[in-house]
Amino acid sequence: MEALKATATINGAELVRRCRAGDGAAWEEIVTTFSRRIFNLAYRFTSSTEAAEDLTQEVFIRIYRTLDQYDAKQGDLANWLMRLARNLVIDDYRHRQRNPQNSFADDVEDHTFHLHAVGSSAQKDLERREMAKQVQEAIDKLPMDLRTCVILRDIEELTYQEIVDVLKIPEGTVKSRINRGRIELAKILRRMKVVSM
Amino acid sequence: MTYETEKLINCSEFEEFLTDYLDNNLDRQTHKQVAAHALLCPLCHALLNEVKDAVKICHEISAPKTSFVKLEARILSMTAPQTAMACADFEEHLTDYLDGFLPAPVFHRWERHAVLCEKCTDLPGEVVRSIAACYTYKMDELPIPAGLHAKILQATIGTEKAQNVRASWTLNWIEWIRGLSFPISIPQFAPVAMIMIFAVLIFSQTVSADGSISGMYQKSFELAGQTYKQGADVVLGGETIKQKLNQESVNGTFVNDEEEKR
Repeated sequence: MEALKATATINGAELVRRCRAGDGAAWEEIVTTFSRRIFNLAYRFTSSTEAAEDLTQEVFIRIYRTLDQYDAKQGDLANWLMRLARNLVIDDYRHRQRNPQNSFADDVEDHTFHLHAVGSSAQKDLERREMAKQVQEAIDKLPMDLRTCVILRDIEELTYQEIVDVLKIPEGTVKSRINRGRIELAKILRRMKVVSM
Repeated sequence: MTYETEKLINCSEFEEFLTDYLDNNLDRQTHKQVAAHALLCPLCHALLNEVKDAVKICHEISAPKTSFVKLEARILSMTAPQTAMACADFEEHLTDYLDGFLPAPVFHRWERHAVLCEKCTDLPGEVVRSIAACYTYKMDELPIPAGLHAKILQATIGTEKAQNVRASWTLNWIEWIRGLSFPISIPQFAPVAMIMIFAVLIFSQTVSADGSISGMYQKSFELAGQTYKQGADVVLGGETIKQKLNQESVNGTFVNDEEEKR
């Protein structure tokens, strides 16, 4: 959340101008501001900290190489950067789904200790960790197309139109996949006794 | 005391006023008299309580706990089964229902199915809870693994100490120029601007001998001065004219040979 607040205050155009000129400090500021957000996005698709780390690094290399293409008139830096990151993470996810031997979804349980909740009691902290672990496990069980749509809509909070732009599929298909994905997720969470009446 | 006794009512009057007393329809004085009688007479007091209880029970009977939505849904499913919704359709419309985009006829059919179908009745609540779980999950972001920033910086700018990498003055200047926007913001003016640039170039290249506008003006002044001197010489005498005509002509003028022979 701190990163989100920081992104609202930085002057993206000025930072990019300094980066293009070769200012290391400006590039470091971009990396520190957006790395957590991009790392978490990558983790939701890979379910592995190692894979998410590698993917985050790849995303930043690509961003660094394409900084020349950034045009401040077409939107702020955070939007441009996250759009690029999303496209790369989804491309990687699709690639791994086509080649299952590259799948990383094996260490959800091992790495959930990273989750933290500042200012909450130990018991609540534990419950939230458990909840986060179960939600990630439930998301992992969704089919690829439903999983992508659910993550983009209910975790990344993209609009239907933004999802259409990222996935390049018709709006009707996006809506249908979100609906089906939500229902499947709810049923999985019910079986796991995470959500029940 | 006499006054108070005079104001008391008897049991038959009490019964007569009882309904109006419970409905608060009596004037203040009569209301007080009925209340006082109920306190004094144990039989009428008991009667008052019985009537109160009976009225309460009647109210409870007239407002049944059963949901009208459920009752309506049951009636419609028995009388007009064609308006019922299948479970698959119910699931298909779930997100539209949550987003508030269901048209009225479908909305009512959807709600009736939600009330009647035991299999589907909990689903909307579960979906809402799972969406909330996703939002909660989002708020609990993972921290960045140690060393990731250093790795990214090493892979992009070749060093972990980004502060040591300074932008050169030239590149800074180039980027600053690049950041400036073209002053003509309306694209239709671009051809006009191009025509004007060409006009100035052609004008300056053809009229002036040295290709500059300032040179053109300088030559104009020289020519004007020379013409003035020639005119002055004509007034002073012919010899001077011949002498002056032998001078080199100024660019853009010519010397008439026939005039020279004469």
